[in-house]
Amino acid sequence: MNGRRAIALVARREIVERLRSRAFLISTVVMLLLVAASVGLGGFLSKETTYRFAAVAPVPADLEAALDRAADPFDARARLDVVPSPAAGRETLEAEDADALLILPQDRLVFRADVDPQLAAVADTAVRAVRRHLPPAPELSVVSLEPGEAEHTDAEVLVAAGGSLLLVVLLAVYGQSVIASVVEERSSRVVELVLSTVRARHLLAGKVVGIGILGLAQLTLIAGLAAVLLAAGAFDAPAELGGSLALVIPWFVLGFALYAVAYAVAGALASRQDGPDAAGQPVSYALAAAYFVGYVVVSADAEGAAAHALTILPLTAPLVLPARSALVGVPAWEHALALVLVLATIVALVRFAGRVYAHGVLHAGPAIGIRDALRLSRRS
Amino acid sequence: MPAPEDGLAVAGASKRYGPTVALDRVSLEVRPGRILGFLGPNGAGKTTAMRAVFGLVALDAGEIRWRGRPAGFADRLRFGYMPEERGLYPHMPLGKQLAYLGALHGLTDDAARAAASAWLDRLGLGDRAGAPVEDLSHGNQQRAQLAAALLHGPDLLVLDEPFAGLDALAVRTLTAVLRDEAARGAAVLFSSHQLDLVEHVCDDVAIIDRGRLVASGPIDALRRASRRRRIALRLEGAPPGWLPPVPEIEVVERDDGALRLLAADDVDPRAVLAAAEDAAEVVEFGYGPPTLAELFVELVGR
Repeated sequence: MNGRRAIALVARREIVERLRSRAFLISTVVMLLLVAASVGLGGFLSKETTYRFAAVAPVPADLEAALDRAADPFDARARLDVVPSPAAGRETLEAEDADALLILPQDRLVFRADVDPQLAAVADTAVRAVRRHLPPAPELSVVSLEPGEAEHTDAEVLVAAGGSLLLVVLLAVYGQSVIASVVEERSSRVVELVLSTVRARHLLAGKVVGIGILGLAQLTLIAGLAAVLLAAGAFDAPAELGGSLALVIPWFVLGFALYAVAYAVAGALASRQDGPDAAGQPVSYALAAAYFVGYVVVSADAEGAAAHALTILPLTAPLVLPARSALVGVPAWEHALALVLVLATIVALVRFAGRVYAHGVLHAGPAIGIRDALRLSRRS
Repeated sequence: MPAPEDGLAVAGASKRYGPTVALDRVSLEVRPGRILGFLGPNGAGKTTAMRAVFGLVALDAGEIRWRGRPAGFADRLRFGYMPEERGLYPHMPLGKQLAYLGALHGLTDDAARAAASAWLDRLGLGDRAGAPVEDLSHGNQQRAQLAAALLHGPDLLVLDEPFAGLDALAVRTLTAVLRDEAARGAAVLFSSHQLDLVEHVCDDVAIIDRGRLVASGPIDALRRASRRRRIALRLEGAPPGWLPPVPEIEVVERDDGALRLLAADDVDPRAVLAAAEDAAEVVEFGYGPPTLAELFVELVGR
């Protein structure tokens, strides 16, 4: 029997057995509900938004009502404070008592730092309505008191943080599935029978491929729902975010190949008495560390040297690269370098795993240390 | 000039685990259509040798040959194995599990399913095909394990202590199955500590002790080749502690009037009988080569 058939058989068994267990179905439904709920929550929260305008007197009597009407399509409300002079308005703005200042005689809308396009649109629509002017010429010119730093939009942060959280959760969940499968075969001793017919590397590959396909299916469902919601405007997101979201999928595949093989090796080298959690601990720690370091560094400074380094390092790249891509964009050479490094690491790990896996899963004694494992991998 | 090999040959197999010698230049052959009993005290190296047949133990020296050539992965797919460490997937339904193992052996999905259901029927597990293995009784798990070894109609069967823990009915079933497999042309090798059973079921034996082969060949030939003979007597009214006046006689068993003895093969049985008749009334008298159990003790007794 050729290797491909053996890998396919092993992978099929992993998929069928996991689908039979219902845990997959339940976790998929739960995750889809979470994505849908986060959108629902976003809608709920934005209903609470109140745009706080200040306007330099005199103002038309119906301006506040017009602002409120214009804000309504955005599920927002508007409030208007009238200030005696532009200087007083400026103070109000700087004290953060208002989000924007209208100076009608100059057709100006003044922001503190960043321009909120939605708010600007509300003001423009309202002023137009009050003056009974028709579109399309913009009524107001928009200025800022100080050019602010470019802040990330909610949607960018959501895709970056949500994407890497989704990745780390799926890597951990499906990595645990791989190690649970390895440990089950060892503790039930069926591995002796299986390895009399299947080469160790094919068994390992079948497991990683089968469980990976399930993880990918689940991720595609979830990311697909998120993409549909993005496209439907639920997050008011720029279109290029779809690309960052799409990056989550190939990086799940790469990250999974890396971490799942590491989990499988950990399961093979552990003591046979160890459960999956204990056996997988070193890999789980590495994964958690990669996630937290990535999260802290990227949220502190997504453009810093440390963030660039983490984008390229194989252990962190699967989590950091999609996040940074959503936040600040990642140049093509960094994509390429990260890809090459992670592929090289996967190849090296798979070769190592192929050499120690059979010895590991068959041994009944205490855990094999990394030094012994390296010695084994050189000998065979 | 050795006969051309047509079955399994373990050739000069050696294996050490640290200071422990598990196998020391062990050679044995299993022929198609014949059943070889693999005997030895606990820890003699039987399991190591059987695992080596499946490539699960890397030999330090020697090799495993199949039909005259080093056994490769493709050959092993045509072998059936019942490991010492029994085990199947605990949560997987029995029928699906066997079909999976059959497919791993190279059967098509349909053929694997058909073989699984045929063997489950034959072993009396037809109604448990949908049950997870963990729900089966110990005896039924044992049968399932046997089915896993037989499913693909292997050319070589290697069973590590298949009779351990079986009741009398299951022993009879397994004996019949092994004979049928040999009649079909399979080479069969199994280890056991039940020597009476081995004598009953097997054509050939190989006996190893402390990693070394101490005897191998057809059971009858080994028994006849022994330098000792068994003498069985049942006496009535013999004086307590009576023994025939024969040098170097060994008492295997003394129970009431029954006496089982081992003596050198040049002892004249008629002289023993005559001495017994002088001492008591002889109810039964038997003479012949030692049983396999006696031979085993002779070869590995220490």
